[in-house]
Amino acid sequence: MIAQLVLSLLLAVVLLYAWAQYRRSPIVTILSCVVSLMGFYFVWLPSHATRVAEFVGIGRGADLILYVWACISLVVLLNLHLKLRTQHELLTQLARSIALANAALPEDARPVDAPRKSSLTEAQMSQPRYRRTDAPTPGQTADQSA
Amino acid sequence: MRNDSFSSIWVVCPAYNESSAIVSVITRLRQAGYDVVVVDDGSADDTRQLASTLATAVVSHPINLGQGAALKTGIDYALEQGADVIVTFDTDGQHRASDIPRLLDALVSNQADFALGSRFLSEPLNMPRMRRILLWGATLFTVATTGLRLTDTHNGLRAMTRRGAQALRLRQNRMAHASELLAEIARSRLRYVEVPVTIDYTTYSLAKGQRTGDFVMILLDLLAGKLYR
Repeated sequence: MIAQLVLSLLLAVVLLYAWAQYRRSPIVTILSCVVSLMGFYFVWLPSHATRVAEFVGIGRGADLILYVWACISLVVLLNLHLKLRTQHELLTQLARSIALANAALPEDARPVDAPRKSSLTEAQMSQPRYRRTDAPTPGQTADQSA
Repeated sequence: MRNDSFSSIWVVCPAYNESSAIVSVITRLRQAGYDVVVVDDGSADDTRQLASTLATAVVSHPINLGQGAALKTGIDYALEQGADVIVTFDTDGQHRASDIPRLLDALVSNQADFALGSRFLSEPLNMPRMRRILLWGATLFTVATTGLRLTDTHNGLRAMTRRGAQALRLRQNRMAHASELLAEIARSRLRYVEVPVTIDYTTYSLAKGQRTGDFVMILLDLLAGKLYR
């Protein structure tokens, strides 16, 4: 009876945790609830474990519990993985903010042989619909526009 | 904005250890008259220094985050600069700057917010058989999951209007971003169009490109991305 109470308390904590996680990851909540409720069932009705095991083709009730434990471990791993991904997203946002705040504008470091916007030939800018606002107009030479 | 002119066109070039290709790629884009933002994704070589001499702007991730994260950073930067149209362009030399006007034309003529390059609407050059099979599988997957009717789902050459870029919610840092971007296009219900583009497969671009095992990771990333908010 003492063991059943202790285990029930632990399973209740898992259920509470699962409920708290619903907004972040519904799938983790659902899986946690399923395995916790299975835990409650087998804690309070241990004799059913063998019957359920036979029903699903496992044989021994102890083996069934072992498999359920393996499932619980996988849910825990999934939860940890999703938490890591969430942390990585935050890290990405931080890195992006740093990168955008320190953007380099090397316009003046351009080598002399590389064209500037205003010195592009008319042929290169021959599509008037996309013409840059500072590009030469048709009929106007690059020098005139510079 | 879209009917007659695009006053500000930004090309976003994510780059990770691309020192051997980046100079020619950025030079061609600049010669064609586009503003180019290179997003250096924590390169260990001198990609950043080389880009600094050619690009309009260079944004550097302090650590390597992945191509998807770099694209998102570049798109955010271009939006900050007031871009009307944003073009995404790989820096391994597989894309041609001469294809960009076709994408822009398609945006205008179709009143679309996304123009997506497709190598299968033109004749792919030197495409390995395995790459063709994998891309075919990826296309089937995307059609099944998003409902978009596309022929090429993993093409890095695309153009999007400002409205289109603002509608995207990109979270996938790595290779799964291409599929995520298409899913976001489907979610946004904005108009899209496919445009034939040419991919130049070289030994270098193939070495930098996706491998067979990457597709498994892409599927797992997409699945994991659905499991949490």
